[in-house]
Amino acid sequence: MKSILQMIVVLSVLCGMAGFCLSYLKMTTAPLIESQALTFVQGPAILEVFKNAENSPIEDRRSFTLADGRRVNVFPCMEGGRLTGVAVEQFGSGYGGDLGVVVGFRIAEDTLAGIGITTMKETAGVGTRVKEPSFLKQFPGKALPVKLRNQGGEIDAISGATVSSNGVIGAVAKAVDVYQELKPLLLETWK
Amino acid sequence: MNQFIQELTKGLWKELPPFRLLLGLCPVLAVTKSASNGIGMGMAVLFVLTLSNMLISLVRNIIPSKVRIACFITISATLVVAVELLMQAYAYPLYLQLGIFVPLIVVNCIILGRAEAFAAKNPVHLAIADGLGMGLGFTMSLTFLGSIREILGAGTWFGYPVMWDGFQPFTIMVEAPGAFLCLGLTLAAMNYGTRRQLMKRNREGSEASASPCGGCRACSIGKSQD
Repeated sequence: MKSILQMIVVLSVLCGMAGFCLSYLKMTTAPLIESQALTFVQGPAILEVFKNAENSPIEDRRSFTLADGRRVNVFPCMEGGRLTGVAVEQFGSGYGGDLGVVVGFRIAEDTLAGIGITTMKETAGVGTRVKEPSFLKQFPGKALPVKLRNQGGEIDAISGATVSSNGVIGAVAKAVDVYQELKPLLLETWK
Repeated sequence: MNQFIQELTKGLWKELPPFRLLLGLCPVLAVTKSASNGIGMGMAVLFVLTLSNMLISLVRNIIPSKVRIACFITISATLVVAVELLMQAYAYPLYLQLGIFVPLIVVNCIILGRAEAFAAKNPVHLAIADGLGMGLGFTMSLTFLGSIREILGAGTWFGYPVMWDGFQPFTIMVEAPGAFLCLGLTLAAMNYGTRRQLMKRNREGSEASASPCGGCRACSIGKSQD
């Protein structure tokens, strides 16, 4: 009996201490990890979309709450001291899971500034072709909403990678919704 | 003090984890695509191994022997998650490179092996020495393998070009088969070297081939030197 009690006490104390240490560490590192992830995962895609940004879109990001309660990070692009574009990241469903897409918008014309892929688990050599410039270069300058050619739009899907192409378009469509919902708020935040 | 140094140095050659004990081969094969990956993974293991040895040795007398494995795993899992968080916070590119192999340190045989075989039976300072030595040996081995694979497979070392102009990299070396080739050749070279050394010391070669482990003399080396 005594040995059973001892086992229970020792294991519980050990696990409790482990949990306490880890939650403390998690809390203290959370902000650092977020900014690191943004710099190394979303950062390259955002900078590719906003080549002539004069600010740092990642450092100047703001978090907004949508009508349905979701929170999104919005990355602004300033040129000549004025807000010229914003970027948001949204996820579409690809062949191997979530497909993260950063979508940039030009505020003045309500068109796409460009898109970049951040995270994906698509089939190597097939679905991963959505990351190639030949696919991505179709997006800049397109008017909203953006659709594939077979849905009446102007974007050519990658043959053989329909699911991945649809995933990208799905993410872009979500980003368009976010952009249209937040636009008045964005214009007020960054004048 | 003598014993401290002995425990520290045994991990560096005599019981070098991946090459002598053949423990923890999964990360050895998987992450050594480049020398810097090898060092990063090695440092993570060094950190976890030293601290887990220390903690386990500290609590060795209050842990009931029936739940000791659960306790060891809890301690090493906590340390691994801590390493993962710290790596994400301060070395994100390395974290992206190592990926799933950082959380997998927790099931690395070296951690549990050293805990069970050494830390649970020895005082704290010796356990730390053992962890440090094994960790350093592991780091060295990974960096060594990573260097060979990076130099032959990409023509660079820690990212700097080291081969002559027009060098055609052997792409296979940075792929999975290259890891097996490299590990196999390293083991063969080490065994050959050890055997030659033993021959020189007038040991009979027949004794080795008659033993159940074939030519490997890793177990008897320690004895013959003690």
